[in-house]
Amino acid sequence: MRATTNAGRLVRQVLAGEVWPALADRHGYRVGPDGQPFLLPGMGGVTLGVHCADPATGYASDHLEPGASIRHRDAAANMALQFLTCVGNQVRVAGGPAAGAAGHVIGQHAYVLADFPEPAAANLTAGDPVTVLAVGQGLALPDHPRITVKNCDPGLLAMMPGGTRPDGRLEVHVAARVPAEAIGAGAGMVSEYANTDLMGAYQGLGEDLSLGLEGLRIGDIVALDDADHRYGRGYRPGYLTIGVISTGQCMLFGHGPGPSTLASGPSEAFWLVDDPDANLASWLHPQPEAAAAAGRESR
Amino acid sequence: MTGLRLVAVNLLGVAEHPRLGDSPYRVDRDGRCYVPAGDGGIVLGLRLGDSAFGLAADHAAPGACLVHPDPASRHALASYACIGNQARVRTGQAAGARGVVLGQRGEEGRVIVGLAQDDLARVRPGDEVAVRACGQGLRPPGLAPEVTVLNLDPDLLGLLPVGPGGEDGAAVTVGVRMTVPSRLAGNGIGRPAVAWDLDLQLPPPGPGGDGDLLLGDLVAVTDIDARYNMGYRRGWVTVGVVGHGASPLPGHGPGITPILTGPAGTLRPRPDGAGHVGLTEAMVQLQ
Repeated sequence: MRATTNAGRLVRQVLAGEVWPALADRHGYRVGPDGQPFLLPGMGGVTLGVHCADPATGYASDHLEPGASIRHRDAAANMALQFLTCVGNQVRVAGGPAAGAAGHVIGQHAYVLADFPEPAAANLTAGDPVTVLAVGQGLALPDHPRITVKNCDPGLLAMMPGGTRPDGRLEVHVAARVPAEAIGAGAGMVSEYANTDLMGAYQGLGEDLSLGLEGLRIGDIVALDDADHRYGRGYRPGYLTIGVISTGQCMLFGHGPGPSTLASGPSEAFWLVDDPDANLASWLHPQPEAAAAAGRESR
Repeated sequence: MTGLRLVAVNLLGVAEHPRLGDSPYRVDRDGRCYVPAGDGGIVLGLRLGDSAFGLAADHAAPGACLVHPDPASRHALASYACIGNQARVRTGQAAGARGVVLGQRGEEGRVIVGLAQDDLARVRPGDEVAVRACGQGLRPPGLAPEVTVLNLDPDLLGLLPVGPGGEDGAAVTVGVRMTVPSRLAGNGIGRPAVAWDLDLQLPPPGPGGDGDLLLGDLVAVTDIDARYNMGYRRGWVTVGVVGHGASPLPGHGPGITPILTGPAGTLRPRPDGAGHVGLTEAMVQLQ
């Protein structure tokens, strides 16, 4: 049974941002797990060729942010954009050669991250204005009062499989489960901003660094063991956090593919179903043929 | 860098004033609002040997936190200052007073300096404090080369409960209050170990004081490699000195400044339990 929500009482707010450039400093290099210096792209700008359902790791990249990385120029307005934007929100390009193209928010990473179809992304670059239809903060599940939902568009929740089970638990389909040892940078930060880097997914960098997470894909719904993200990001035995992998490959030590938080509560309030199709691509980013068919129907 | 001599540099720190945003409140791990007293600045009455859980405070440190108005200079201050380095107040009512670096805090960077309580009470935010920074790059002869030393004044190593092991490959043993699994490591993971501390998400001590942690204690964290950035590496150990107290924030807690990191076979923590003696005021002549 679909979980009952308060979606009808949420407001939708029009927010503005722009595609933010990749940033570097004059020293260039950062440091890998064994002190390896590296200089690799991935953060900021528009990262092409990686979309939901693609592998999160295996790229010569650091903090890979699929699609467009978005901020607002004004510091306070930027925090509003980062805090209020939710996974699944629609993003529309408001100017430049890609004007009119529509995409979806896939997560937060101190940027709002938006995945666009590759042809649109190819015409998008730093400085292009985008409009975000923000809705989702305040979303609640009255039948699951111990579970806090955040950063989640109610439309996305409605498309995700699972819901309220006869035993009262919330069924959630997940593509992977993550042990507490994997929690890296992002611990201690608020859970409406940026994401939680997962260690143990450094493909090709040594067995002693692996926690078996090299198979993660962008857009995967994951469960974080012993993580309480109701009021920030912390370790709490017996709690569970559901997230969506919004960033990929990292070389920087203590960092890695990162889930943006969607829900958190006591483990016993959830019922997890292992499901390799639990990925944003299953619901938000239909294959081009399906999208075209949907377009014909709407005309 | 074996065989190379260390250099000392005089750095300028400024005693910090605490900073808050428009709202006085932060949200604790249970969703309650609180006002974060003691988070940076000058904290009186908290000393090495006191419990890290003893105050209704947030990240309280035993002494004065030093910062610098220029962000790059501030990062340099936090990166180069090492535990045991000498400090001297240069301006204000406490001018001339002697202090000692006891630890560091991350994010924008802070250096924690302990002073005698009489001197500390006369320090005012904005007062200048000189730090004679020395220690990064230390490669003590006789210490197993697999073990990396960081954030430690060269004169302090011999006073801490560290058995160097010798050059015959013997393991380095370190007396610690407790050994903590890596899953309790919070804020500080993924950050440079020369400039940040690592917060430990430890529960408060039990009724009989079980599990208590004192400021200055040495603590080992398993499966954390702190040679560069801090992160998970199976079979590795990092030992640090507790530099500040607990925090109500999720993902935060008492913070250690890393001083030793190496493979578990070569760096061996020895839990001393209640008998543990870590960094003390006597050791750094703060009494």
